[in-house]
Amino acid sequence: MAEKIKILYIDDEMDNLTGFKATLRLDYQVFTAVTIPVALEHLEKHPDIRVIFCDQRMPVKTGVEFFEEIRVTHPLPMRILITAYTDIESVIDSINRGNIFRFVKKPWVEAEIVSAIEEANKFYQANSMLSIKNEELQRAYNELDKFAYSVSHDIRGPLSGILGAINVARDMHDITEMKEMLFLMEKSLKKLDTYILSMHDYYSLQRGELHIGDIDFKKLIDEFKDIYKAFSNTASINFKININQREPFRSDTVPLKLILNNLLSNAFKYQNKNNDAKMVELNIEVHRGVATIQVSDTGIGILGNHLGEIFNLFYRASSQEAGSGFGLYNVKSALLKLNGQIEVNSVLNKGTTFKVTIPTK
Amino acid sequence: MELSFIIIDDTELDHFIARKVIANANKNYSIKSFLDAPQALAYIQEDNHDEDAKIILVFLDIYMPLMNGFQFVEEFEKLDQAIQDKYYIAALTSSIEISDINKINSYRSFRTRITKPITANGITQLLNKIATEFGIELD
Repeated sequence: MAEKIKILYIDDEMDNLTGFKATLRLDYQVFTAVTIPVALEHLEKHPDIRVIFCDQRMPVKTGVEFFEEIRVTHPLPMRILITAYTDIESVIDSINRGNIFRFVKKPWVEAEIVSAIEEANKFYQANSMLSIKNEELQRAYNELDKFAYSVSHDIRGPLSGILGAINVARDMHDITEMKEMLFLMEKSLKKLDTYILSMHDYYSLQRGELHIGDIDFKKLIDEFKDIYKAFSNTASINFKININQREPFRSDTVPLKLILNNLLSNAFKYQNKNNDAKMVELNIEVHRGVATIQVSDTGIGILGNHLGEIFNLFYRASSQEAGSGFGLYNVKSALLKLNGQIEVNSVLNKGTTFKVTIPTK
Repeated sequence: MELSFIIIDDTELDHFIARKVIANANKNYSIKSFLDAPQALAYIQEDNHDEDAKIILVFLDIYMPLMNGFQFVEEFEKLDQAIQDKYYIAALTSSIEISDINKINSYRSFRTRITKPITANGITQLLNKIATEFGIELD
């Protein structure tokens, strides 16, 4: 069941508070305060109080004055004034200065209070939703900025290279030289292609919904084992796979594959070229509803000061290989969808280990 | 030769093109290539390269991992003035981003800006400009 809505009532007459609480405490979590300092204490302790009722006539401060103050310090709760005196001056005041949501006339009846709370709660929810949406929008804008910048470099970069090569080719007559250039052009185009494919991954991760099913890690790995086996043979990298799954595991294959593919291709790509015993190791263990995936390599490693940033969009910590700056960001987004975690351990020139833990769904 | 070249770029194809275009202008120019900025910086710091060269023209890519063109120039500007005076840095960029252009203009060490790809025309113009400014004979 949903948690009870928290409401606060301030009145200098104890009897009013007691009556109010007795009537409403079954349906709402009611806080009462006989003075303003007590009210402020409640607000500090319970920042999720949604509706505040306040009596207009109080010693020290009027209800309107109180609302005028907390409008600034606690803008979220809805403000409702309870008053027996409804002269037009105080109505104008409470609207203009207190920016109140509603009036309740004293003596109040339960139905009126309940309807005021329900209406106020709807407003409160709409407002909170709006601020969450605002935050999401701000994040999306920031990423869009990064995208615009990246597009002009990561897409235009390879294209301008190809254009430059075509220009140069006009005065080129040596076939070997031409072939060398074609090889480099291919490399640039492949980089562009990787970029676009990862951008597609990025988009589907941001927008796609989860499709949960039973996961057999052996089968899953079999699907792309061959690609890496071939790679491991040509680059003479020893590829070890250990899978230990004796219990069912439920998750979505698409983000899972994306995580495995990115970590493995990084492990193969960023190898230490001078190392004679190159190795990539994949360990998967499913135990008590948690899958632990470890990918270790004997590669170039990551400098400590880059470690904090490798999961950022478009961050690249090496110029050795054609990275798109998407890979690990996409891994992080995929893990966010699966409620998973990732840890990284790296020693420069020795190797890197990524450890991923994902709970079953 | 009174003029020599350093290319700093993380894309091999762009090195190849720049080398071709420079060699087409004069095949006797000496050209050094670096695939990342820290290596190039270490090389420049040692100094005493190219005793004959009056000016070393540096084609510096802006968008690189590890150390980008801006970070390189910030480090470069900390070097001895005598070293700095020998180098003429051209910012090389594939981007038409106004923010990049403004940032490039804000560094005194970026003497000029070239939008990729480097072309024969572009390099001839640049060489003529440098020749006049530093009194170098181009042959």
